[in-house]
Amino acid sequence: MQPCSREMQAMNPLLNPAQQIPLQDLQSTAHQQIQNPHFDPTSSHDDFLEQMLSPLSSCSWSDLKSPWDPPKSDDTGPSNVGFHYDEILASKLRQHQINGGGVSSPATAAIKMMTQQQMLLPGRGVAAMPLSLGTSGGAAGSHHQNDIVDGSSFKSPNQQGGEGSMQSLYNGFSDGSLPGTNQTQHFHHPQAPNFGATAGTVMKQSQASGSTTPAQPKQRVRARRGQATDPHSIAERLRRERIAERMKALQELVPNANKTDKASMLDEIIDYVKFLQLQVKVLSMSRLGGAAAVAPLVADMPSEGGGDCANGGGSIQRNSNGNQTSADNDSVTVTEHQVAKLMEEDMGSAMQYLQGKGLCLMPISLATAISTATCHSRMNPNKGGPLLQSNGEGQGPSSPSMSVLSVQSATRANGGLDGSASVSKP
Amino acid sequence: MNPSSLKSRFTTRFLRALTKINAHKPISSSSPGPGEIFQRYRRIKVAADKSMAYSVRSRRTWSRATLWRLRTRSPRSRLATHARRSWVKTRSTRAASHGKEKKEDGGTVEAEELRELVPGGEAMDLCNLLDETAHYIKCLTTQLDILDRQECTSREL
Repeated sequence: MQPCSREMQAMNPLLNPAQQIPLQDLQSTAHQQIQNPHFDPTSSHDDFLEQMLSPLSSCSWSDLKSPWDPPKSDDTGPSNVGFHYDEILASKLRQHQINGGGVSSPATAAIKMMTQQQMLLPGRGVAAMPLSLGTSGGAAGSHHQNDIVDGSSFKSPNQQGGEGSMQSLYNGFSDGSLPGTNQTQHFHHPQAPNFGATAGTVMKQSQASGSTTPAQPKQRVRARRGQATDPHSIAERLRRERIAERMKALQELVPNANKTDKASMLDEIIDYVKFLQLQVKVLSMSRLGGAAAVAPLVADMPSEGGGDCANGGGSIQRNSNGNQTSADNDSVTVTEHQVAKLMEEDMGSAMQYLQGKGLCLMPISLATAISTATCHSRMNPNKGGPLLQSNGEGQGPSSPSMSVLSVQSATRANGGLDGSASVSKP
Repeated sequence: MNPSSLKSRFTTRFLRALTKINAHKPISSSSPGPGEIFQRYRRIKVAADKSMAYSVRSRRTWSRATLWRLRTRSPRSRLATHARRSWVKTRSTRAASHGKEKKEDGGTVEAEELRELVPGGEAMDLCNLLDETAHYIKCLTTQLDILDRQECTSREL
């Protein structure tokens, strides 16, 4: 914080509220101070801030403002002082309002004050500048410029203002040309009752003119009252907001988007993406014709189906036309045998087992009816396609004779068409 | 339908690719061996992915990743995959260094999983990743829609 403390100490004599320094003397001293980049590091950083925090005497602020005028404003000095007086009172009021919310640290309070001042004096590019210089990070004049141009969230004067930019500002002041003519123009603008509006417009003007006026819109500071103005946390907040809005957009895309928790929402999204990819695979497989084609593909995905309907679409299209080579359909036959065994014992457990795999039992006639019906309907990813394993109604607890797919492919074959992807569709 | 929408672009390309594949290898009524089926499946899948990625051009990270993957498949695999892996590693380390600062965001486990799912998502921070995911989902649904309609119309014929 070395550079900050240095230029802060420069301001110390200016801000000492106890002193009633005549205007001209202050001007001269200020000019000297500014032109002399070498400052004596006597008082500490905190002292300066506390001095600033002590009740803002109107004298100190007006003294602060006027020194930065270009030399020709000597004659306009007193008038400006008187002009500022009201503003300063108003600023004090506002500052008290803001500080009512609680001040986290002297630094943040100082920053709030600064920004208040800046907001009150929109056209006072010159005046605003010493404020920014006063704050340790005010050197980020360009930084503020970017803020204003972006219209983005409030960024407090950066505490870690780069030293280089500080020096450039100093050089600008020493030249006397930097604030120059532009500022004087703004300086003499009649003060509009609505500070906010003029702040916006004049800010933009000063922006365009290329000055380094760091002014902040009023309401942003209000909103951030009591919160840390640390740039890191601001960046964090921004990032979180962006992520939140992206999540909202995703929520609309993904069905079952009633989860409010971000983690569960992400889980939903992941499942949905997996499901979609799988469906593309399955559909493209079905174009080849023949349900047998799908078997090797599906056999690779063991427990894709859980209870989740969407995932149930994964374990679709188990098998075949009744001629199953065991090599291909090991998992399927195993499942079928398992189910058959369970059915011998207890129907309920068999159903549970099937449900665990995302399958269900239904009579063949119903299955055919469904499959023919789904041909005309669109794919609805919500329902997915639970695998249908059929059990002939009249048959005993023997192993399931045919899968629904076989029935379908039979009917399909009659139609002479390819594929039997309709099982995937509800 | 909007003539220049994603859907129409994808449809035209996909149909073109399909007709090319069909012309190359007519559909055999008898079920061919699993290897051949798989090959054909791959071709179709590749055609679908490629047409989708081309429809999006390089505007999206996932499309770029998919195009890369398609271009550098088996023939020049070793060299290409090595190059891609190094590129991914550099980008992921950069993203990881970003992510480390902001690790408290939570949901990094799911983010990892999402990264694996979405092509080209390994080297992106969460914010962009979500964006990519949204677009990817949109494209996948478009693909499915087209495939779906094709199936239906072909079946009704």
